[in-house]
Amino acid sequence: MILRRRAGRSATLAAALASTLVLAACGSTADTPADTAAGAGGVKTDKGVTDTTITLGIMGDTSGVFKNLGAAINAGNQLWADDVNAAGGICDRTIQLEVVDHGYKADTAKTLYPQLEPKILGIVQLLGSPVLAALKQNLIDDNVTAAPASWSSEILNNPNIMMIGTTYDLEVINGLAYLQQEGLLADGATIGHIYIDGEYGGNGLKGSKYYADKHGMTVKEAKITSTDTDLTNIVTGLRGDGVTAIVLTTTPGQTASALAANQALGLNVPVLGNNPTFDPALLQSPAAGALGNLYVAASSPPFSSQTPKAAAVAKAYKEAYPGAPLNAGTNVGYVEGLVWQNVLTKACENGDMTRAGIQTALISLTAVDTEDLVGELDYSSPGAPPTRGVYIAKVDPAAEGGVTEVATVFTAPEAESYKAPFQEG
Amino acid sequence: MSEVVSEKAGSPPAAPPAQPRAAGARPRRNRIKIAATAVLVLFLVLLPILVGSEVAYLKVAQYILIGAVGGIGLTLLVGQAGQLSLAHPFFLLVGAVSYAVLAGDPEESDDLVGLGLPPLLALVGAIVICGLIGLAFAPVAGRLRGIYLGVASLSLVFLGLWLGQSLEAFTGGTSSGRTPPTFELFGFPFSNAEPSPTLFGVAIEKQQRLWYLFLVLAAISYLLARGAVDSRIGRSWRAVRDNEAAATAMGVNVTRVKAGAFVISSAFAGLAGVMTALWLDLVKPDENEFTGSYSLTVSIAFLAIVIIGGLGSVPGAVVGAAVVFGLQQFFLLGANEFGWFADAEFGGLNAVVLSAFVYGAAVVLVVLFEPGGAAAVGRRLVARLSPSDIPSAPRGGRSTPGSEPERNDDDPTA
Repeated sequence: MILRRRAGRSATLAAALASTLVLAACGSTADTPADTAAGAGGVKTDKGVTDTTITLGIMGDTSGVFKNLGAAINAGNQLWADDVNAAGGICDRTIQLEVVDHGYKADTAKTLYPQLEPKILGIVQLLGSPVLAALKQNLIDDNVTAAPASWSSEILNNPNIMMIGTTYDLEVINGLAYLQQEGLLADGATIGHIYIDGEYGGNGLKGSKYYADKHGMTVKEAKITSTDTDLTNIVTGLRGDGVTAIVLTTTPGQTASALAANQALGLNVPVLGNNPTFDPALLQSPAAGALGNLYVAASSPPFSSQTPKAAAVAKAYKEAYPGAPLNAGTNVGYVEGLVWQNVLTKACENGDMTRAGIQTALISLTAVDTEDLVGELDYSSPGAPPTRGVYIAKVDPAAEGGVTEVATVFTAPEAESYKAPFQEG
Repeated sequence: MSEVVSEKAGSPPAAPPAQPRAAGARPRRNRIKIAATAVLVLFLVLLPILVGSEVAYLKVAQYILIGAVGGIGLTLLVGQAGQLSLAHPFFLLVGAVSYAVLAGDPEESDDLVGLGLPPLLALVGAIVICGLIGLAFAPVAGRLRGIYLGVASLSLVFLGLWLGQSLEAFTGGTSSGRTPPTFELFGFPFSNAEPSPTLFGVAIEKQQRLWYLFLVLAAISYLLARGAVDSRIGRSWRAVRDNEAAATAMGVNVTRVKAGAFVISSAFAGLAGVMTALWLDLVKPDENEFTGSYSLTVSIAFLAIVIIGGLGSVPGAVVGAAVVFGLQQFFLLGANEFGWFADAEFGGLNAVVLSAFVYGAAVVLVVLFEPGGAAAVGRRLVARLSPSDIPSAPRGGRSTPGSEPERNDDDPTA
């Protein structure tokens, strides 16, 4: 034992010696040379851009809880890149996409990011609010601009976030205004709001509170977690409160439960959901018969939309990915690409395709036209959502993707006056 | 404590005396051991240079160290003291939040509580707070055992979920969470501050600095745990684990020892929590109990670390952490680097699915064929190196379900 003790001590000594040797080899340099170079066409570049290619990253989810939606968004991104490259690329360069799958887990994304970051100019799709929260500081440190597939206005305090479309709070405001316009809701009414505690639900709730405040309505809040499955008792409670409409900021499975209870309890009030509340798979679920009361408010048009660009994207998707799930993700992915296209074109005109140049180009854009895949986007005031309009869709089993459009790019006056959490002025 | 007692520590009273050691074998093994330790330490210290600009691999290595620190804490509790606990993620959460609150800048936001203490003090404070909360749970731990204690400790995970969502002034809420303050040691920040020193041409930036910080924290944890296992504390844990009545008869205060084990294990988890916060640059309570950094999934992952490593073995916990915390991340990086699973666009086999299978299979295989875990495998390898040195018959003791007579307690060389 004495020997063993001594062995341990010698090992410690050896270790200490080794680390001292290493430290002795240390030096110190203050500055790294700026690796900015002027490439083809006199355009300044740093990371992710060569003379022939522009590389953008996708941090998506094709194995986690949002894999159906995530795969469709990835496909939308790819369709956009194919279209651009077929038309000759941007700035005489073709678009390349580097795809990684984080499975909707923040720890995984945190590891994958440093591997992806040196290869790319920016991120064309960053999916998931936990992932966004974990990478917030990385994006700022590396000045990487990212288009999120997550629509909370709480993330707009990060200048490197390029929001595409409008945010959950504005979806709810517009949706409630639509219901009132259709005569389904009156001033002074009581509405119920079932929401998942977290970024998604909390942001949706802000919208209904704002709208209710403007119209003398009362909001009955019901907080749930994203893994709850049976909302019957909550809907029963809301019926006791005498609600005349229900707002949902939930998962698709929870939406089905709430709608089934809405029908089974004889409540039958109109139900408004945010974009992620609906999944076409619900039409195959036992709750299929009860979905008729659901209105969905979303930035981008539903899969079955007659908006010309949306119809073209839907057609290309069905050709390129036969048998893949049909949902709104395709349009989301495509429009993310379109906005990037505008930013890249602008940066090319400015002769600066560095990461800093992308930021400059982004905030100089005041009217990005996406052929109505989302409303016109204005990036000149950081902190404010770039657009406030939504599409309203209603469940329709006959339509592809399960919903049919009832209002195109609809912006209520209340949505215009709403002040987002990080909006200035 | 005399050397004789420490040699026989924890052996059941009826165990035969250790066989006389063959002269000459010992010094040879010492040299091998010293050389192996030096090589390992050199490798770990030089890792940032070896990975160079591939910082992602350094990130995985940091993550493994988090698992190692937490796993060591749990293996002491489950393997050495015989108390099953699934509450580890709760203490991780408490540690992370405590660090953010203690070190947080009071001016940062009106909605967040921050005390503005120096980060080192906050780190120690977070560990102490976790230990105290572990002590508060000790009366429960003292009354229950086995699976009942496991289920009772599970309640803490749910409590953590609820508290994390409710106490937004501390946790930042589930929406955005809060950013933990940068760790600093005597004015040296663990961030990308200029000028950054270089080591063989590799700049020691934030991730490299964090690696060294984690390495030091993990090394301290490891040495403390080994010290505890080898000393009187470890012997009293094992005595209580094997037979409470016998332990009482030998003068061990059972209640106090059980409480002490819980406190120490919680403190390790608290340190792992602080490391998690620094690793993620984020303190954010989970949105539900099944997914997230402090969820039931993490409870199971830590249990898997302990089982794969071998119950009660400190080095085993480190190996277990490498398997459970490292494998998935490593697969993911490889998947992108070399284009594995490129066809898995709409479902199918991908890195996440594969790594879940691998570590699930590892747990099953360990329980079926090697209940002593990685520790037992390591011991066998060492025995092969110097056959005369290790008693051929296993010395009895506790193991994973399946009760293979292997033990991981007394021989820290395993």
